[in-house]
Amino acid sequence: MTATTKKRKHRQLRDRFELMDGIILFFLIIMAIMILFPMVNVLALSLATQKEAAENPLMLFPSQPTIDNFYRLFQDPRILIGYKTTLLIVLIGVPLNMLLTTSLAYGLSRTSFPGGKFLFFGVLLTMLFNGGIVPMYLLMMELKLTKSLLSVLLAYGVNTFYFIITRSYMMSLPDALVESAKIDGAAEWRIFFSVILPLSKPILATVLLFYAVDRWNEWYNAMIFLRRNDLIPLQLVLRTIVMDSNIVNSLSIAGPRVPRFTEGIQSATIIVTMLPIMCFFPFLQKYFVKGIMVGAIKA
Amino acid sequence: MTGNPVKTKRTFREWLTHLGKRIYLEKERYILILPGIVWYIIFAYIPIFGLSLAFRKYMAKLGMFGSPWIGLKNFQRVFADPAFFTSIITTLRINAGRLIFVFPFPILFALLINEVRLGRSKKVLQSIYTFPNFLSWVIVASIMINVLGQRGLVNGILSGAFGIKPIAFLGKPEYFRPVVFATDVWKTAGWSAIIYMASISGIDVEQYEAAEIDGASRLQRIWYITLPGIKTTILVLFILAVGNLMSGGFDQIFNLSNSATLKVAETLDMYIYRITFKGSVDFGFSSAVALFRSVINMLLLIVADRVSKAVGGSGLLG
Repeated sequence: MTATTKKRKHRQLRDRFELMDGIILFFLIIMAIMILFPMVNVLALSLATQKEAAENPLMLFPSQPTIDNFYRLFQDPRILIGYKTTLLIVLIGVPLNMLLTTSLAYGLSRTSFPGGKFLFFGVLLTMLFNGGIVPMYLLMMELKLTKSLLSVLLAYGVNTFYFIITRSYMMSLPDALVESAKIDGAAEWRIFFSVILPLSKPILATVLLFYAVDRWNEWYNAMIFLRRNDLIPLQLVLRTIVMDSNIVNSLSIAGPRVPRFTEGIQSATIIVTMLPIMCFFPFLQKYFVKGIMVGAIKA
Repeated sequence: MTGNPVKTKRTFREWLTHLGKRIYLEKERYILILPGIVWYIIFAYIPIFGLSLAFRKYMAKLGMFGSPWIGLKNFQRVFADPAFFTSIITTLRINAGRLIFVFPFPILFALLINEVRLGRSKKVLQSIYTFPNFLSWVIVASIMINVLGQRGLVNGILSGAFGIKPIAFLGKPEYFRPVVFATDVWKTAGWSAIIYMASISGIDVEQYEAAEIDGASRLQRIWYITLPGIKTTILVLFILAVGNLMSGGFDQIFNLSNSATLKVAETLDMYIYRITFKGSVDFGFSSAVALFRSVINMLLLIVADRVSKAVGGSGLLG
């Protein structure tokens, strides 16, 4: 009697679990759809004709896909300027970020040298207190860097959070390696380049990706410092195209060569701007997660 | 007694030579950190000291550090500007709303994802959830302008399913804050969930096994094991979010707002942007607001850090 009720109870529990599994999975899939739907819709609009977009704005895939919007988008010189500027920012900016961050992280991984604690504290303090954009803009003006890409490249040098996770990773490396290299008479930068950096590859990959995404997404500093039509990062081009067509639509000003199918052009611009992240992210996700895990254990 | 100063002098000199030796021994280390330190001095500390402009009258010819001191005059003008106070209230309303409407979602996400036992598809789901976090707010806002527009996805679904007339989500002040919260959840919740998932994975598995033997239901296990297990993480992140009450979200607000919603969208950072880069330029005035903002943010973060240490977290600075 007791055995059968127990068995029945167990079965009930398991049944309930499976139902719950179903409900939870249902919610999770709904949430995934809510995230994906807008992006797929934008992708569909970018490939659609104006007629189809007007008839069915909710579409997820166009019946007659066309690259017409992309073709017209690339006739706009701004998009090529955008790609050029953003690529310059990423290709010069990220190595600069990595050089500054890793050398500082290793140099300050031990603070027992004169001034070490003071310098480390000075770096950490910038997380609590910063000057913000106003003095930064004036500094760039006084350095005569406004209107030069250098302003954008230099304004974002070390991200203190990335510095901290790099440093704690380097501190977790066994001391013996550094000691034996020192006994062999290696200089600090030799140790840094041939011992520390190769051993830190996992965290370097993570921090590199974070910097790459940050640089790709950069727009604010460029908007404030550059103000030049031949030097606009892709993100600002997107902003201009989305805002422009909104303004043109509402004021119905016939600007020079205003594209008729603005939604299609806008969507194509969005796709073009997020394309690299879209392509790389699925393969690199684990590195990003690793970064926040290191940070989470710290925090 | 009289020998003492001589003695100190000698030890001081000894100390100095010792220090010199130590510095010499570490010279390679100093060279290694030099680029990073120089960057921090120029691009972090000069701007910080540049905020002294808050007490000066800015003159372009004399520059940031040469302009004449005028005491608290800039602050008098700041505190006389009603838009300044409005911007503080706007900031607090948006960020307090985030604590209520955005903060719980990552926890919910983490709990749900943790409950699903599906090897590979879990990874796919997680990729989808975390992806939007890596898009800039320029991209997300552009997508949202599209999706929330009069002829966009959301209005299409609303009119199709419920027969509701198209709503101008981005053009009406009353919808602005809900849109900010919803898009914030859309972009960041999946990513923020990872911290909680890391915390959940640290909970002792034996507790779950014991609970299962005792016949605890899934909800009971979540309520009595998982949630208490991540309580500290939740508390620490909540306190840090409180520490950010006066900051954050500029990218989002700037890209989602427009002239129709400016009234409810002008946060402190937006106010600083407007007075600095739009209209009449007065860097002394701007610096006074910026200094106010930085000091308040620092105080809030220090308090948050102390409280988070008190509840068992390691705090902001480790």
